[in-house]
Amino acid sequence: MSKFHPLSAYENSASYKLLPFRFTALDEDRYVLTNMAGEYALLPRQDLYDFVRHRIEPGSTAFRTLKSRHFLMDDDSNVAIDLLSLKTRTKFERLSNFTGLHLFVVTLRCEHSCPYCQVSRQNIEHSEFDMSPETAERALDLVFRSPSPAIKIEFQGGEPLLNFPLIRHIVERATELNKVHNRDLGFVIATNLALVTDEILDFCRAQSIAISTSLDGPADLHNKNRPRPGGDSHQRAIAGIDRVRQALGRDQISAIMTTTTASLKRPREIIDEYVAHDFRGIFLRPLSPYGFAMKTKWYAAYKTPMWLDFYFDGLDYIIELNKAGVPFSEYYASVILTKMLTPFQPGYVDLSSPAGIGIGALVYNYDGDVYASDESRMLAEMGDKSFRLGNVHKDSYEDIILSPALLDPLEASFAASAPMCSTCAFEPYCGAEPVFHHATQGDPVGRKPISDFCNRNMAIFRGLITRMEADAETRHLFARWANR
Amino acid sequence: MVSNLASGASNGCREVCFAAGLYDLDAIKRAAYRFSDRVRVEIEPTETVVICRLHPLMAVSEADHLAIVSDFSIEVLDQDLRRTIAAETESVRNLILSIAFSKTGFGQ
Repeated sequence: MSKFHPLSAYENSASYKLLPFRFTALDEDRYVLTNMAGEYALLPRQDLYDFVRHRIEPGSTAFRTLKSRHFLMDDDSNVAIDLLSLKTRTKFERLSNFTGLHLFVVTLRCEHSCPYCQVSRQNIEHSEFDMSPETAERALDLVFRSPSPAIKIEFQGGEPLLNFPLIRHIVERATELNKVHNRDLGFVIATNLALVTDEILDFCRAQSIAISTSLDGPADLHNKNRPRPGGDSHQRAIAGIDRVRQALGRDQISAIMTTTTASLKRPREIIDEYVAHDFRGIFLRPLSPYGFAMKTKWYAAYKTPMWLDFYFDGLDYIIELNKAGVPFSEYYASVILTKMLTPFQPGYVDLSSPAGIGIGALVYNYDGDVYASDESRMLAEMGDKSFRLGNVHKDSYEDIILSPALLDPLEASFAASAPMCSTCAFEPYCGAEPVFHHATQGDPVGRKPISDFCNRNMAIFRGLITRMEADAETRHLFARWANR
Repeated sequence: MVSNLASGASNGCREVCFAAGLYDLDAIKRAAYRFSDRVRVEIEPTETVVICRLHPLMAVSEADHLAIVSDFSIEVLDQDLRRTIAAETESVRNLILSIAFSKTGFGQ
């Protein structure tokens, strides 16, 4: 008996049953359909209506596409249910691991004075904004209560290198504790690199600590966005990147950029800067509505459509670079494409549903307060502690994880049951983002028709699909990004 | 595709009517929510039709307003289609989810 059905099995089905799917308009002519596992298909409007009314011709291209991607099943095969179940289970697999990312805000002090600082940094003489060793010890106890087999501890600030002795202590103590807990343990320092020393790099090499830094673009733009005494932030960042690569290896450092009004007309120059300094990709990132970015009104200085023009100009330039033989990725697109083109979830906190708060990340603030995400502690520095889950000195792991400040917004914002999201074809790719919607609308669910998060991401989802459907080479490139 | 039985303008708003037996009120409400960034929609069900009055939230040209009305009518149709799909696939959706989350330990 053949392992394969004859061709006729795919052509002669007399009837079919619909499988669950969502649809959303892609443009004036076409609709995007997504199944429960996030696989997508495109149909013209009339074909969509014919499909739902069981009028689509068996044996047609549309029929075969819809059958192969589990939008319908017929008498010939019921394997779609098993496959959809398996793929859906895979999509949610990360939930069972629970919190893998643990952020330690070892200090709020910083020697930069960036007007867009979203964490509301403090001046360097204010040592009361440093985390104490006692607080760090209590936080570490909580870290290892997480069932996740992989634990990443990320040091955040302010500028975390201003409290490097505590970083050293935490790394050594966590490594010691891990002899018992036996997790896949990793460390990252998020630093502007202005204060990096050989001693720090020696320690990072010995402990396999990775570095994440900021690079906003060419020197004039970077220094305008990120002022510091001497006006040499860019020079120090570039020198630091070179030193890190020499000490730790080429791939032990990554960089992120933040888009300001001054960046909007310069996406190609910013990308060129990353290429020139031998980065393999860039994360084109808008400003978020927190901290000094709100106080200085830098966040309000440009609107979502302006940022989208910036983003797509940059994305198209990156596609051009790849076609010209320069391998380079846009990381936000890569996260989304992994969701679109593979059964896997990258675990990116902002694009998670259930929301990534608490589940994807926990933040231990300098004062011992525990927050549901990095944005939650940014909000707290603005006086809004809605997402404060407890304190390492007073509350148990159970108190923190079962806090109503976590569970209530998680439940309310779940995209699969949120108004508009629940029927949106892009829901499998999107996130719940209760902190953003709380910050901008005072409600963790948010009204999506007026949500910048929704409008921005809908445009990106449409933009990515449009580009890969229009050009086979781009689709091939996107598939590579999705499977990195 | 003509979903509206009648439409007209008064006091800066436009009126569009949907046959009461043909369209589910929930589909119309969902469409109104979807368009709440552009228009405030007053919904008035009668025995024969559901009247929707679309009030623009900001000044728009006549042409833009008509385009919104047209898009709103299509959105109502789409929402109605979504209800059809949801009703037809509810049991298989539950089956897929029950298989997907079986033996995960989440329920224990």
